[in-house]
Amino acid sequence: MATGHPIVLPGETIDPSLIPSHPKNPLRLGPGLRHIPPTDIVPTVAGQLITNPAKNSMWIEYNSNRYIPTPSDLILTQILRSTTDAYLCLLSPHTAPATLPHLAFEGATKKTRPVLQPGQLVYARVALANKHMDAELECVSAATGKADGLGPVGNPAAGSGGCAFDVSLGFARRLLMARSRAEGGVGVLEMLAGEEGGGLAFETAVGRNGRVWVGSESARTVVLVGRALQETDRGGLGLEGQRRLVRRLVREMR
Amino acid sequence: MTATTAPKAALGVLPRSDGSAKYSHAGYTLTASVNGPIEAQRRDEHAYEAHVEVIVRPAAGVGGTRERHLESLLQSSLAQLILVKNFPRSLIQVVLQIEDSPENDYVNTKLVQASLNFAIMPALVQTAILALLSAGVPMRATATATAVAVVHQDGAKKMVVDPSPREVETASSVHVLAFTSHNGLLLAESEGDFTVGEWDDVYETAKEICCRSTPAKEGTAMVLDDEEPSATDMRQFLRSTMESKVAADLHWK
Amino acid sequence: MPREAEPSLNEKQFVTQALQENLRLDGRQLDQYRPLELTFGDQYGVADVTLGKTRVLAKATAEVTVPYIDRPLDGIFTIATELSPMTSPAFEVNRPTETEVLLSRLLEKTVRRSGALDTESLCLVAGQKCWSVRVDVHVVSHDGGLTDAACVAVVAALRHFRKPDTSMEAGRLTVYTPAEREPVPLSWLHSPLCVTWSFFGEDGETAVLDATWLEEQVRVASCTVSLNKHGEICQIAKLGGMPVDAVVLLQCTSVALVKVKEFSDLLDRRLAEDLKKREKGGFMAELRAENDR
Repeated sequence: MATGHPIVLPGETIDPSLIPSHPKNPLRLGPGLRHIPPTDIVPTVAGQLITNPAKNSMWIEYNSNRYIPTPSDLILTQILRSTTDAYLCLLSPHTAPATLPHLAFEGATKKTRPVLQPGQLVYARVALANKHMDAELECVSAATGKADGLGPVGNPAAGSGGCAFDVSLGFARRLLMARSRAEGGVGVLEMLAGEEGGGLAFETAVGRNGRVWVGSESARTVVLVGRALQETDRGGLGLEGQRRLVRRLVREMR
Repeated sequence: MTATTAPKAALGVLPRSDGSAKYSHAGYTLTASVNGPIEAQRRDEHAYEAHVEVIVRPAAGVGGTRERHLESLLQSSLAQLILVKNFPRSLIQVVLQIEDSPENDYVNTKLVQASLNFAIMPALVQTAILALLSAGVPMRATATATAVAVVHQDGAKKMVVDPSPREVETASSVHVLAFTSHNGLLLAESEGDFTVGEWDDVYETAKEICCRSTPAKEGTAMVLDDEEPSATDMRQFLRSTMESKVAADLHWK
Repeated sequence: MPREAEPSLNEKQFVTQALQENLRLDGRQLDQYRPLELTFGDQYGVADVTLGKTRVLAKATAEVTVPYIDRPLDGIFTIATELSPMTSPAFEVNRPTETEVLLSRLLEKTVRRSGALDTESLCLVAGQKCWSVRVDVHVVSHDGGLTDAACVAVVAALRHFRKPDTSMEAGRLTVYTPAEREPVPLSWLHSPLCVTWSFFGEDGETAVLDATWLEEQVRVASCTVSLNKHGEICQIAKLGGMPVDAVVLLQCTSVALVKVKEFSDLLDRRLAEDLKKREKGGFMAELRAENDR
């Protein structure tokens, strides 16, 4: 581990020399850090301290299982029930439901709103999250009025519902990185669709809340992709390990 | 009889809870699970902070007043460490399951009404802290705990760290102390007869075990370890456990 | 406490559809168990069973009490099952759920009513003193297959357990502490184990062994068969759900026997290994005790 990125525990003192000091930009604190006025910056979780002098930001990198809603996160949620003007959705087990207004879909008006059954999976964005309030979701971009791929995933009634798989939050975040292979070290999806997997055809929706939806014409492919994702996450596989895993699974499930 | 084995811990042992830890030290083996923040029941809901619930489950028999007492002690200590204000109206649930505790070979215990040994307290604290860290619950600081018994033997007074059940029985007083990582005294619970002087000695002994200054940089750890190989350094143990967990989590970096 | 959320429509539909194509989400065969592991604690009577992500801990204990008035010649044997919030936050302390009640009934019927433990041997002084043996079952992690795992854990814990030795001299009962006399094993007659089948599909035509928690939530019926390795059936429980063809059920029972034989072998092997380890440990302990004096 590089000495510039030490592992910290809650309440430990951070070496002042590590705190980025940009002359103009304000210091930005990411997850896992708290500021005790006037000058103390203290970690609140156990993880690796990462600093970015260019952006004048710092945060703690760690993995966990419980999702805490943050605005603009993409999440995979499940409809619990409908109220007069919104759906109540489940973000993670045993937590208070989030609301998804009936009007937060592309082209939805008071008269034409999408009808979703309880239990349907929906890919959505967190619009509003605040520790004092239940989170609010949206399936439409407020700026463009377009869905941009958000909305209900799969059609269980027609027998093509796909399936959702649970992964750790850290793994979901790595899958969501713009360059997940280079930065996050996950190439398993690319491999499945590419040479190693023999060009499997499937679609995915990765939720920051640790749920990944996989859809495909063939149930075999869905199971294969799901298993590949979960085993990569649990086994902590590197790129080479992922390649071997994909090859093995494809051989096994043929 | 002195079971001063080095503490052992494994994190994330329960795949279906948010955080978990299995900890064994001095003959005690415990598993803890942490779930949270989750939805709190109406009666537990607090408008401005998270409710911390601690449940202690004995290995055999039903829990009694003894367990409730330990739960309330742990609850008030952990609520001090967890940043409860971050999660209003929610619940952070800590469940501690005792798996194994050292037995006193010289008596036949009645077990249907389980009565926990007081000396299990440090293991409870330690396991709960590890499980909370594994769940990534935001905390103000970490904590370490130890038990010290004062034994009068042949007119001489002796401090026994991590006493066995037999030693607890013969001790004139038993003390459990927990310190935060900022060297603050978090919990002090005593049983039996003791003088103020004795308590001061106990305090110093416990502090030595719990609060040995963590070697901050470049391997001063080795030097310290060489000086005093007998006593376990709880803080160093906590740190190395978490370091290996974080390193495993971030293997892709 | 918030209730356990049901799986999504997508998952429900997919699990059923995949099973029709003989596919399971974890890639197992329909009649394949997840890896079953059994370990024992440092003390006598502690058994830890893992079945995939399911983990059950059982601890056996004994104490001397007064026998029931209507059964003066029998000892007391109880199995206590409680699902704690550790299993899932949906379980509350002291508020039994259906899962918990069903689990304890099944264990009761399988282990206690089948006479696996000779309760008469627990009697010390007729009508006055007897042993009360108690097994506490702790479900540490629940991912389906609870009954099967819990049953292995209970049987393993009881067979591993040693109760303090006793003697009767001139009407005086003496219970020896472990330091005075090595404890003795229980009088064990046979080892009944559970095998649970889950049924899927519109007519319950797909039979699956060792369902995960997700599969258990989707299944249309289930049936638990308890039997020992000699093929003697102790109980069959099919508690409601979709009707299942009797012929299918017969096939299930014969497969169950194969599985029970496998589990019994594992149990015997692990018990033998533990005994071996203890013999060495016991000898060392004796040496150390000698030195203490």
